[in-house]
Amino acid sequence: METIISGLQQADKTYLYVFQSVVRYILPILAGFLIFRCIRPLLTFRREPEIWAWLCLSKDKKLPITHWESVIGRSKRSDIVVDVPTISRNHAVLTRYDDGSWTIADAGSKCGTLVNGEKIDICPLEPDDLISIGGVEMTLQPISRRQEIRLAQLRTRAANPVSSVLNLLLLSVMQILFCFSYLFVADAEDARLIFVGFMGIAIFQWAMLVFYLVIRKPSFEVETLAFFLCTLGMVAIAAVKPSEAVKQLIAVFLGLCLFVGIGIVLRDLERVKRVRYVAAVIGILLLLITLIFGKEYHGAKNWLIIGSLSIQPSEISKVCFVFVGAATLDRLVNRRNLILFILYTGAICVCLAIMNDFGTALIFFVAFLLIAYLRSGSIGTIALACSAVGFAGILAVKIAPHALRRFETWRRIWEDPLNAGYQQTRALMCIAAGGFFGLGAGNGWMKRVFAADSDVVFASLAEEYGLLMSLMAVVCILALGLFVLRSAAIARSSFYTIGSCTAVGIYLAQTILNVMGTVDLLPLTGVTFPFLSNGGSSMICAWGLLAFIKAADTRQNASFAVRQSKEEG
Amino acid sequence: MNRIMRRARILLVLVLVIALGISLFAADYLINARDWVLFPGSPHLYNAGNLGCGIVTDRDGVLLMDMRDQRVYADNDVLRQSTVHWLGDRKGHISAPALSNYAMQIAGFDVINGVYTYGGTAGKAQVTLSARVQMAALNAMAGQKGTVAVFNYKTGEIICAVTTPTFDPESPPDITQDTTGTLDGVYLNRFVQSVYIPGSIFKIATTAAALEAIPDALELRFQCEGSMQIGADFVTCTGTHGDISLKEAFAYSCNCAFAQLSLKLGDETLDRYIRQFGILESIHFDGIATASGNVQILNQAPVQVAWSGIGQHKDQVNACAFMTFVGAIANDGVVTNPYLVSKITVGNSTTYKADYPADRRIMSSTTAAILQEFMRNNVQTIYKDDYFPGLTICAKSGTAEVGAGLLPNGTFAGFSSDPNVPLAFMIVVESSSAGSSGCLPILSEVLSACKEAV
Repeated sequence: METIISGLQQADKTYLYVFQSVVRYILPILAGFLIFRCIRPLLTFRREPEIWAWLCLSKDKKLPITHWESVIGRSKRSDIVVDVPTISRNHAVLTRYDDGSWTIADAGSKCGTLVNGEKIDICPLEPDDLISIGGVEMTLQPISRRQEIRLAQLRTRAANPVSSVLNLLLLSVMQILFCFSYLFVADAEDARLIFVGFMGIAIFQWAMLVFYLVIRKPSFEVETLAFFLCTLGMVAIAAVKPSEAVKQLIAVFLGLCLFVGIGIVLRDLERVKRVRYVAAVIGILLLLITLIFGKEYHGAKNWLIIGSLSIQPSEISKVCFVFVGAATLDRLVNRRNLILFILYTGAICVCLAIMNDFGTALIFFVAFLLIAYLRSGSIGTIALACSAVGFAGILAVKIAPHALRRFETWRRIWEDPLNAGYQQTRALMCIAAGGFFGLGAGNGWMKRVFAADSDVVFASLAEEYGLLMSLMAVVCILALGLFVLRSAAIARSSFYTIGSCTAVGIYLAQTILNVMGTVDLLPLTGVTFPFLSNGGSSMICAWGLLAFIKAADTRQNASFAVRQSKEEG
Repeated sequence: MNRIMRRARILLVLVLVIALGISLFAADYLINARDWVLFPGSPHLYNAGNLGCGIVTDRDGVLLMDMRDQRVYADNDVLRQSTVHWLGDRKGHISAPALSNYAMQIAGFDVINGVYTYGGTAGKAQVTLSARVQMAALNAMAGQKGTVAVFNYKTGEIICAVTTPTFDPESPPDITQDTTGTLDGVYLNRFVQSVYIPGSIFKIATTAAALEAIPDALELRFQCEGSMQIGADFVTCTGTHGDISLKEAFAYSCNCAFAQLSLKLGDETLDRYIRQFGILESIHFDGIATASGNVQILNQAPVQVAWSGIGQHKDQVNACAFMTFVGAIANDGVVTNPYLVSKITVGNSTTYKADYPADRRIMSSTTAAILQEFMRNNVQTIYKDDYFPGLTICAKSGTAEVGAGLLPNGTFAGFSSDPNVPLAFMIVVESSSAGSSGCLPILSEVLSACKEAV
């Protein structure tokens, strides 16, 4: 390491100039190629309906059951439509469990659900049990173990190991180029940290891939995109605050641990149900602790200082929130838990309001809207929630001059370029100065601007590595969004769909607020860019949320967070 | 599940918001990136209010200033002092519009590459000034306030433009501590920002108007008895010149003769021609707009019209504008616009090249030829060629009374009629104890330096 660093630092300037002038074009090309390779399988995989059981209405009438949770009802929007007037719109819910067992539950129907002649609320199903709803009799015929294995074999495989290795090689080449660019120009002490930062990420990603290959889940596209964003985040740190490279690396490691941890928990829906109360308590507890012991920085009291460690617990709360929001749903079409969830959200919002953490509150709000909509489907309820929050928001803005000032500056940054509009005007000036391909490592000016590695990281990255590179970071998040949207169509259980949609919704919302705040299309709220912004808590949160996306990835052999039997693999 | 799957499409809203935002920003970038990067204070281009990138050299490639990081000026302190009004200082007391005007070209900005240059190569702006002449001019001014400028009336290049008082940007003075008045207006570029009472050099314009407006102007005779009564007022003269022609009146700078000429022309005609000659106009070059001149001739009492034609009353001209006018006489009546920045290169590419077409005729070539002859006669008979060895100088002097108990300003305007040395000049020495003759030694130094520079 020392040899490389001192060698590069003592190299003739001509080498640096030639290196920079070549790398500025090579890096966006490599990045574009890598992203294309990662995104293509995510957006083009075949969505094959999976048949888990048959509902036999008579000898010659069998209805396929394609999800783990299915609503039987008269409504056209039910998963299994039985158009008989005596059947309620949403009559009953069939649920499959990880072990292959099934239950049926009544969904508040008018004339109830009967199993073997007994009226039930919820009841486990055996293959020969006679189900009767609204006078229609039927039996459930789950597919056999052999059929399940056959189903898995027929499913298109998510990825081949060679492709994942190639992608990661591509990323590693980029990491080396990025790293060398900064080793040329940084001073010796910083150079060491930068070297450790980039190489650390590279080691983590390869270790992760080896782990995946060992457990035979070679699909690594989603992780590669995340590691790519982490690499860009390290670029921003190398440009702005090299001293924090190692700290960020540790955050990536902790994030990976959380990612794997949550991923394993998510393998088993029963376990999820058990854990959700713990998650709920942790989520609110973290906020309460911050409220009591937290330190105020730049108007928001959202930092917890423990020794030399400073963390933002509200970031971790986000992960808990998604967990709770998705998991409180025991059964489809059950309203009781929604009210509990609304109360829980209310408590969190009160905490954030007292903390004055406007940006995080906004993210929680978006997550809440998504969960609420996914679960209720009622625009009316959402509108009501929106107006309530909007009203509270107006009050908050009235009370908090910090937030108000940001709104006053919005779309008027050039009128006060040295004070209120400083960050955004500098950001735009530096983005323009960098052009499409950037000015090269160490030639940026953004490092002098407050939060250049987090709130306005989009501009810092664009300045040194070009607008194209910054836009590719946005494309990564967009791709994750579209991927989740696509995989929702073949989702097995509502929990995974709600979890992944909310997680990716948080990514999207953060990206919108971060990027559009930087370029003055929205007020600057100080929200972080997932994986990219410097900040340990934010990094850990981003990886934690990624587990939800991974758990919804039901492509064959795609995800360690989706349980498969040995025979299937 | 069907419902939830369908509801998941709500994510599309967020995806579309990003897509829309990025599209908006992309359009914004393509349209406005130039403005962002050029916005005053933009960190890659500016430094404390002045341009902070690129280097500036004189016409011969002598380094005048390196604007990267903390600006570095030329080694020579005289050169620094003589050019600071064009280059600007570190604190931004003096702005340098001629350089800021080309910020984009000096930075080499384009929408694709931003301000990237290979190895951070600085853009190089070459100005038309000659370092040697600037220094000679500043030395010749010898601490007197005023301005001296020379430009090539064929091409428009400003070879020399010095304004005094000045200071060394490497060790800026604390002007608040100055009680002697020597630093009054030290931040002012008198060549472009000031207007002066012209005095008798204005008679060039009055003569030109007469030659254009009166068919037999050369046959006119004037009577000078040392002073002349107009209404209740008097126009006084520097001597008693007797019965003289226009050419003699011009040479002797006879106030009585020019009073009679002004009255003969009348306020309307005189005013019309003064404006036609462009003497009062603001000259525009390289983002600089000179101060506009002023006269009050129309509907004035006859004595005031007379004084106006002599170059007093309310007459005020800008040195650059008057130099341009005198250059047009040398250039057979066609104006050549002066300019300062000749070329800007970034690496191997030229991002700017000066191009000022000379196409505006302000007087007939006959009038120009006669004026050339008159002004040549002035030097031969009055100022003497001894001051200008090897040059064929045509000129007119002036002594501008400024009132308020101050010594008059010495003014001098003219040109070299030698086609190999196509230079026009203008000089103002404020409160010159030697009057217009104080200008001659300065001019002598400057022109001899110019001759070598061209």
